Amino acid sequence: MSLLTLFGFRILLGLSAYVVILTGQISMAQAGFYALGAYTAATATAIWGWPIVPAILLGGLVGGLFGFLVGFPALRVRGLFLVIATLAFTEIVRMVFLNLKYTIRVGDRTIGPAAAEGFRGITYYYENGWSALQIMAFTWLFVLAVLAGFWLMDRSRAGAVLRAVGEDELAAASVGINLTAAKVAAMAAGGLVAGLAGALYAHYATYLSQEEFGALLATFAIAYPLVGGTGSVAGPIAGVLFFSLLIDGLRFLGDWRNLLFGVLIIAMMNLRPHGIIDVGLVRRLRALLHLRRERAYAGD
Amino acid sequence: MLAIEGLSKRFGGVQAVQRVDLQVRQNEILGLIGPNGSGKSTIVNLVTGVYAPTEGRVRLRARDITGWAPHRVLAAGIGRTFQSIRLFGGLTVWQNLWVARQAQAGAGRLRGWLAVDRAGMKRIEATLEFCRLLDRRDELARNLAFGEQRRLELARTLTADPEVVLLDEPAAGMNVAEIEELRDRILTLKQRGKTIVLIEHHMELVMEVAERVAVLNFGEKIAEGPPARVQDDERVREAYLGKRRD
Amino acid sequence: MTDLALDVVQQLLNGFLFGSSYALIGIGFTMIFGVMDKFNLAFGVTALAGAYTALLVLHLTQGPLALLFPVAVAAAGLVGLVVELVCFRWMPRDYPLAPLMATVGMLFFIDEVIVHGTHGRPMAFPAPMGEVMMDVGPWLLRGDLGFMFLVSLGVMGILWTLVYKTRLGLATRSVSQQPVAAQLCGISLVRVNAAVFVITGMIGGVAGVLIGSAVGALSPLLSLPLTVKGLVTAVLGGLGSIPGAIVGGLLLGIVEYEALYFFGIGYRDMVTYLLLFVFLVFRPGGLFGQTRH
Repeated sequence: MSLLTLFGFRILLGLSAYVVILTGQISMAQAGFYALGAYTAATATAIWGWPIVPAILLGGLVGGLFGFLVGFPALRVRGLFLVIATLAFTEIVRMVFLNLKYTIRVGDRTIGPAAAEGFRGITYYYENGWSALQIMAFTWLFVLAVLAGFWLMDRSRAGAVLRAVGEDELAAASVGINLTAAKVAAMAAGGLVAGLAGALYAHYATYLSQEEFGALLATFAIAYPLVGGTGSVAGPIAGVLFFSLLIDGLRFLGDWRNLLFGVLIIAMMNLRPHGIIDVGLVRRLRALLHLRRERAYAGD
Repeated sequence: MLAIEGLSKRFGGVQAVQRVDLQVRQNEILGLIGPNGSGKSTIVNLVTGVYAPTEGRVRLRARDITGWAPHRVLAAGIGRTFQSIRLFGGLTVWQNLWVARQAQAGAGRLRGWLAVDRAGMKRIEATLEFCRLLDRRDELARNLAFGEQRRLELARTLTADPEVVLLDEPAAGMNVAEIEELRDRILTLKQRGKTIVLIEHHMELVMEVAERVAVLNFGEKIAEGPPARVQDDERVREAYLGKRRD
Repeated sequence: MTDLALDVVQQLLNGFLFGSSYALIGIGFTMIFGVMDKFNLAFGVTALAGAYTALLVLHLTQGPLALLFPVAVAAAGLVGLVVELVCFRWMPRDYPLAPLMATVGMLFFIDEVIVHGTHGRPMAFPAPMGEVMMDVGPWLLRGDLGFMFLVSLGVMGILWTLVYKTRLGLATRSVSQQPVAAQLCGISLVRVNAAVFVITGMIGGVAGVLIGSAVGALSPLLSLPLTVKGLVTAVLGGLGSIPGAIVGGLLLGIVEYEALYFFGIGYRDMVTYLLLFVFLVFRPGGLFGQTRH
C-alpha cells in the first residue's frame, strides 16, 4: 500500500520533469519545486490549520509560481547550462530551508520548519485517522488527474507544440510558436506538478528534512522520463516502475542491489538510449492495435 | 507589399548585409540571387526576425515589423523555409503541420489548444496533398527521403497560410524531375495569390519563374530588374565569374 | 590593521589555497567538455575512487605515504578509461542525453562500490602536512593547504606542457576546436577521447588525495559536492577553457571561505549557488569566454 503511495509521488515527479523535457530542456529544478510544495503545504496544515485539499493545492500553486519565475531567466540558458543553473536553484531552495525557522509550540511539541532540525509534526493524516488505504487513494486521485491532463495535452496541439520546440527552436519560432510562452508554460506546469507531489509527500512522510531535496532527488526526477522514455506519458511511469521495482525487487540481493542499480542504468542507456518506451515502440504498439482492430472488423 | 529599406547587418567585424533596399510587389515572384556568402540567407533571417538588423527597416504593407520575434512575423503574414532543412524530426509528417497550424487557430486561448480543429485538419490535408505527402502522413519526418523533406518544409510553411513566402534555396540537392515539380508548385502558389521571394542558386529555375530578379554581392544589391536584363548586366557577370583581368 | 581585515585576508588565503583543488576537479570537467561537448558527471566520483584505492593499497601494503599519489593517479586514470568506454564510446551518437544519464548511473555505481566496501563509514585519511602551520606575518598558513597548492601547481605545469608542447596536446586542442576537421587531418577521435579521459582521471586522482588529506577523511558523501563544485568551477571559468577552470576554482575557493566567514556554514553554499545562477544567466560564457550559445 505504502509502496503504491510512493509510486504516486515518483510518477508525479517524473511527469513534472517530463513536461520540461518535451521542450528539449533538462531541468534539475524539479527537486526545488518539490521541496517548496512540501514545505508550503505542510505549513498550511500543521501551522495555519488549513484543511488538506486547499493545502495541497497551495503547495502545487507555489511550485507552479516558482516554475514560472525560474522559467524566465532559464530562457537565457539552454542545454547543459540550464542543467547547472536549475541545479543551483534546487540547492538554493535547499539552503533556504536549511536556515528557515518558523515554528510554533503545541503542548510540548515543536511544530514547523526548524532550520537544520527539519520540519516536524505534519500530522494531518494521523490526527484525522486516515488509513494507509485512504492516503493511497487520496494520493492517486491527484496522480490520475495529472496523468489524464498530461495525456490530453500530449494528444492536443499543446503537446505537439512543446515537442516541436524540443526538436528545433528556430524552426518552431518560424512556424509561429511563441518560444517564451511555450518554455515558461512548460516550466510552470512542471513546477505545479512537482509542487503537488511535494505537498502530498510531506503529509505522507510527516517529517521533512532539507537533505532529501537535493541533487539526488533532482537526478531521479529526470531519470524517470529519460530511462522510461519521453515518447508518451507511459515513459515516466515505466521509468518509475523500473527504478522502484529495482530498488524493492532486488532486496534479496541485500547490499549488492545498490551496486546493480548503477550498472542497470548504464546498461539501459546503452541498449535503449531513447528510453524503455520510445517513439518507435509506441508506433509499433499502435500499429499492433490497429491491426487487431482491422482484424476484428474483418471478422464481422 | 514587403519593403526592405536600408537594411544592414554586421556580425562582429563582418558586414553581412549593407544598406539593401528591396521592394516586393503583391503577387509577384522575386528572385534573389548572388554567390555564396553574398547575404541572401541573412536577409531572410533579418526579415523573419531570427536576427535583429543593425540598421534599416522591414515593412509589411504599412506595418513596420522590424525586429519582431519570428512567431509574430509569421502571424503578420510572412512564412519561410530553411536552406538547411529544419523539420521536427521526431514528429510525424502530419504533426509537423499540426504544430504550424496552431499559430492561426486561437493560440493562447485554452479552447484553441484543446478543441478539435476540423477546419485545420482539412487545411492540413489539402496542404499535404498539394505537396504530394498525403501517403506519408504518419511517417516520422526524420525517416523521409531528402526530396520529401524539402516538400514537407514547404508544406509546413504553407499551413499557416502566409501572404508572403520566402523560399530559401528550395531546389538545393534536388534532381531535374524534382525541380520541375517544384517549379510547377511555385507557379501554382502564385496563381493562388501568394507573393514569393525565391532565393536560389539554380539559375534556370529563377529565370523561368521570376518576374524580377535582384542580385546581391558582398552584402550589397548590385542589380535589379527583369531576368533577361539582369543576366546581361556586367556587374552580375563579374560577381559570378570573377573580375575580368583585361 | 583591524581584526576584520586580518580575518578577511586570512580567509582569502585559505580559500585561494583550497581553491586549487577545485581547479583540478574543474579542469577535469572542462577538458572532457572541450573534446566531447558533453558532461561527464562521473568525474567527481572518479577522483574519489582514486583516493579510496590509494587508501586501500596503503592499508594492505603498509607502504610509505608517498605511495598514495602514484596509486591514486593510476587507479583514477583507469576508472576514467572505463567511464569513457562504458558511458561514451559504446553509446549511440545521436542522443546526447543517453551518455549524460549513463554517467549518472556510473556515479551511483562507483559511489555504491565505495559504500559497500567501507560499510558507508567515513575513513580516516592520512594528512601528512596537517600539523604543520607556518606564520606569514600576522597570518597562518596551513601546511596541508600549502602542500595542496604546490602539488596542484605542479600538476597544472605538467598539464600545460602536455597540452601545449606535445603532439597529443595539439591533437586534443584541434579536436576541441574543430572535431570534423581534426578527423580529416588524420587525428583519431577515439584515441584522443580515451587519452583525455585517462589524463583527466589522473588529475582527478591527485585532487582526490589532496582533498582527502585536507579534510582528513574520505566519505562517499563527498561525491556529490565534488561533482557540483567541479561543475561550478568549469562554468565560472567558461566551459572548455583550462585557464578558466584554474581561475574559476581559485575564485570559488575564495568565495566559499569568505562566505563561510561572513554568513556562517549554513549560508556558505547558498552564496556559491547564487553566484553560479547569476553567472549562468547573465554571463554564460564564463569569466573569459565569449558569450556564445
